Amino acid sequence: MALSFPNYSSSSPSNLPSPSSFKHHQRTTPSSILSSQNSFRHRFLKWVSIQSAKNQNLNAVCMQEATIAALPSNETLKKLKDRSLPFAPPEECGNVVGFSTGKEECTVSITVVGASGDLAKKKIFPALFALYYEDCLPKHFTIFGYARSKMTDAELRNMVSKTLTCRIDKRENCSEKMNQFLKRCFYHSGQYDSEEHFVELDQKLKEHEAGRITNRLFYLSIPPNIFIDVVKCAGLSASSSNGWTRVIIEKPFGRDSESSAALTRGLKQYLEEDQIFRIDHYLGKELVENISVLRFSNLLFEPLWSRQYIRNMQFIFSEDFGTEGRGGYGIIRDIMQNHLLQILALFAMETPVSLDAEDIRNEKVKVLRSMRPLQLENVVIGQYRSHTKNGVTYAGYVDDKMVPKDSLTPTFAAAALFIDNARWDGVPFLMKAGKALHTRRAEIRVQFRHVPGSLYKKSFGKDLDQATNELVIRVQPDEAIYLKINNKVPGLGMRLDRSDLYLHYAARYSKEIPDAYERLLLDAIQGERRLFIRSDELDAAWKLFTPLLKELEEKKITPELYPFGSRGPVRAHYLAEKYNVQWGDLSTEHVHG
Amino acid sequence: MATCSSSSFISPSSFNNDPTQLPKTLQKGLLLPIRRSNIPLLHIHSNSHLRKQFQSKCSNGYPLNAVHFQDVPSTEAEAEAEAKETTISITVVGASGDLAKKKIFPALFALFYEDCLPKHFTVFGYARSKLTDEELRNMISRTLTCRIDKRENCSDKMVQFLQRCFYHSGQYGSEENFLELDRKLKEKEAGRLPNRLFYLSIPPNIFVDAVRCASCCASSATGWTRVIVEKPFGRDSESSGELTRCLKQYLTEDQIFRIDHYLGKELVENLSVLRFSNLVFEPLWSRQYIRNVQLIFSEDFGVEGRGGYFDSYGIIRDIMQNHLLQILALFAMETPVSLDAEDIRNEKVKVLRSMRTLQLDDVVVGQYKGHTKGSKTYPSYTDDPTIPNHSLTATFAAAALFIDNARWDGVPFLMKAGKALHNRRAEIRVQFRHVPGNLYKGKFGMDMDEATNELVIRVQPDEAIYLTINNKIPGLGMRLDRSNLNLLYKARYPREIPDAYERLLLDAMAGERRLFIRSDELDAAWALFTPLLKELEEKKIAPELYPYGSRGPVGEHYLAAKYNIRWGDLTSDDS
Repeated sequence: MALSFPNYSSSSPSNLPSPSSFKHHQRTTPSSILSSQNSFRHRFLKWVSIQSAKNQNLNAVCMQEATIAALPSNETLKKLKDRSLPFAPPEECGNVVGFSTGKEECTVSITVVGASGDLAKKKIFPALFALYYEDCLPKHFTIFGYARSKMTDAELRNMVSKTLTCRIDKRENCSEKMNQFLKRCFYHSGQYDSEEHFVELDQKLKEHEAGRITNRLFYLSIPPNIFIDVVKCAGLSASSSNGWTRVIIEKPFGRDSESSAALTRGLKQYLEEDQIFRIDHYLGKELVENISVLRFSNLLFEPLWSRQYIRNMQFIFSEDFGTEGRGGYGIIRDIMQNHLLQILALFAMETPVSLDAEDIRNEKVKVLRSMRPLQLENVVIGQYRSHTKNGVTYAGYVDDKMVPKDSLTPTFAAAALFIDNARWDGVPFLMKAGKALHTRRAEIRVQFRHVPGSLYKKSFGKDLDQATNELVIRVQPDEAIYLKINNKVPGLGMRLDRSDLYLHYAARYSKEIPDAYERLLLDAIQGERRLFIRSDELDAAWKLFTPLLKELEEKKITPELYPFGSRGPVRAHYLAEKYNVQWGDLSTEHVHG
Repeated sequence: MATCSSSSFISPSSFNNDPTQLPKTLQKGLLLPIRRSNIPLLHIHSNSHLRKQFQSKCSNGYPLNAVHFQDVPSTEAEAEAEAKETTISITVVGASGDLAKKKIFPALFALFYEDCLPKHFTVFGYARSKLTDEELRNMISRTLTCRIDKRENCSDKMVQFLQRCFYHSGQYGSEENFLELDRKLKEKEAGRLPNRLFYLSIPPNIFVDAVRCASCCASSATGWTRVIVEKPFGRDSESSGELTRCLKQYLTEDQIFRIDHYLGKELVENLSVLRFSNLVFEPLWSRQYIRNVQLIFSEDFGVEGRGGYFDSYGIIRDIMQNHLLQILALFAMETPVSLDAEDIRNEKVKVLRSMRTLQLDDVVVGQYKGHTKGSKTYPSYTDDPTIPNHSLTATFAAAALFIDNARWDGVPFLMKAGKALHNRRAEIRVQFRHVPGNLYKGKFGMDMDEATNELVIRVQPDEAIYLTINNKIPGLGMRLDRSNLNLLYKARYPREIPDAYERLLLDAMAGERRLFIRSDELDAAWALFTPLLKELEEKKIAPELYPYGSRGPVGEHYLAAKYNIRWGDLTSDDS
């Protein structure tokens, strides 16, 4: 999000720390975390100072004052009429390219470790290109692919080029831009644990950096068992000598409290906390990003956001395909303990002091630590079995060649969680995640309480549960926010029904919504940590799930089988019923135009 | 006369308490019928069943509204009902007038078309002009239309309806002529239990005459007699009080149905549903969260040669003191004990009585002047042949009102009504307060007022409800904008929305008084406006002139600014 760089006054450069090496910053206070970015930020001063004079706040969100001045007044008026707030700058990160006008030019080198892998091909390189295409990368940058396979630069470029696409709504110069981008991409082949090979990489990087201030970002797109090896080699042999060095890692971050802590310890031998960027790509999703905006910039929701008005919350994730050869980790570790729990924390946290990463993450940790560890009786697990529909047979989980025939790994799980704090005491937070279900969807549902002493009680029939308000945030597909309200059906007489106050992103916003990886990569480059997981968050998250996961394994709990393409195990409903909840994703929603 | 104990012609028996009779959708809870649901269920039950409802005599006399059917199961009443059929006779007094032609007869036909009238009914036109039944039918037939979405048997139905329409010519003050009407009515009623409804679509100076004659000579001997009257109900506290006193010489309060047709509008009806059936609005509905409420009415045409009535009343009496104030009362009232008419009207009166009397410095008046746009010239108000040249009558007014109770203390309620403005619209805007300690403050530029939430209920045209929220603009970076959580009626509900008059006529027939103005409400409303109206007239306050087709006088902005408000209708809404 840090499209906007902190605009501190260019007249006080003295508060910038020496950019020497990342490793020398031993303090862990937020300010030191920020200061480690300062060398990078410093280079931005030139362009920032042109537009902005005030604002000490180091948060990314603060650029607006700078841009509002740049808007001509008639433009402001027009914006006003358009109902979009007048501060909105015309381009999101159009300014970023201009930052290198100073003498000390800055460059970013991004090394994708595990460049031949699926994630790299499908997500990382396309996201980097999208950032480049949107002018969000610095003027000078270098991208290196690193993997064991022998490849030339041309072969890498060839591989990468197959997955690049331009924004649907902005097609100009697409192939030109692609060529320019690919020219900045290089490949280095090496072992993941070879310091020697990383020294070679370092030499190559230096060549391309050509004396500029260097910032280096390593994206570890590799199996977790070699995380530490790579971090060691990169940390010792290929980190920047005068800029920052950051490492992005992807889940899994261990498989329980102990292994996660061991991983963190291992990483911290070579890296500071503020160099580690643990990605949870759900946090980069547009509507997840929007949760805080909805909560904290709208007065409407403020009084509603507590046990007094909210009956339950539901976090629902479903995929309509199976593991297809990539099972083993289990749905609880794969989806719940990270994605859904992170969203829950954003939803339930107290108002942070500011939007700074540390303030937000402090609040998230507090919520997680107020939560009750999961109990076995509050969890339902399932595993999909094969199913034949219209002559097509969909394979069951254990039919997969990679999966042991007697695997008990859940491909579906539902759980009820509780936050034992003043705001949420007694409110069930229900989670549901599954593969091979009938739809693909991720959504958050907030079900409100009944209207006390409702005047219209009689008109709701027996099922008052159907008559409560509900706020739905549909994260994917087809992003939308809607609030279900009771409304009079137009016409003579008085019938009520549920209608939606509806915001359909596709209708309201014509721009293509960027992929989560774009946002996260940009944030990592800019040192914005808000959407990354801090280690104490990770510890707290594992603490909630580890006892349950152990119990499931020790007791060899058998998952309930459900047919491929179904709505999942029936027991999920019994779990909901236990807390007087109805899953909100079962009723057919209105079709919106 | 006081036969209102049989307040409704619809038998409670039609609502068996057997839930299995409810339609499937209803059991699933997707359709939520409510107690006053006689009408929708008409579509659900078969036609023969429907007939029975109307034939049967009503037994739920008290309380005097139709909300109670479901509670009273009865098979007795049904059996008893077979014995004596009920009929209803509707006399439109002033049948040749504009309102009758444009609204009343079409609404009656629509009710007939939707099977909402009893099996047997008679419609009489009454006026001074000499017309035959045939001529009346001919006149009416030109304005009848069928529902757009339901065209079957349209002309059949029209013919059937017109056959029930008759005409009687007579003076409005002649008891003799009303006696003749009574005889004709009896003829048509043919021994059935008659209920009679008089719709006074006549100038207010002959209200009392007509009521006197109708009541003494043409009211129902065995059923109920009700009279619908239209505004103006006087022109100040005194004249209104006088009118009420006179009417009450001949009628009891529960026979008088004072229409405010704005209360029959779909979204005004929905206001209470929104407020009281949705938890999400409950905590917000007070001074703690609401910064101001705006009630806006605008027309894009002037008096257009029909200013005689208007000039003696002005926009404040014509729109504000009734339509907008009624909406305000519904909006601001405390939760009533029940949805019964008396409970709701009690709460409305309480709000009105908690309000501060309007002050001259909280009011802006305006009058439209001529304006030439392109080749077209629009006349000024005083150019109109029906308007005196020096008229000071307001064609525009804006006012700030205050409710001095615990819920609303200090919250400005802004009203604005005007003719010859740039658009036609009626809407309610609720502007919420700023977010305290807003984390996103830096994002909103200088103008935090632009960043507050707003609930808009657009009554007309193009009915909609939307909630303006701050939202992140999708994309990299963090920019906020205002987006709407939107409910556009025409997208959600394909059915044509019935005219306000249909609802009100049906309610009057069913004895449902919720949407009619009780005399104490009327008194309270006049008490708020009378001092101001007198002051305007005594001080001969000159209205600020504004061009025909403009946004109205600039003074309205200063009034709003005085209370730190910005009119919400200035920005074009993207919804």
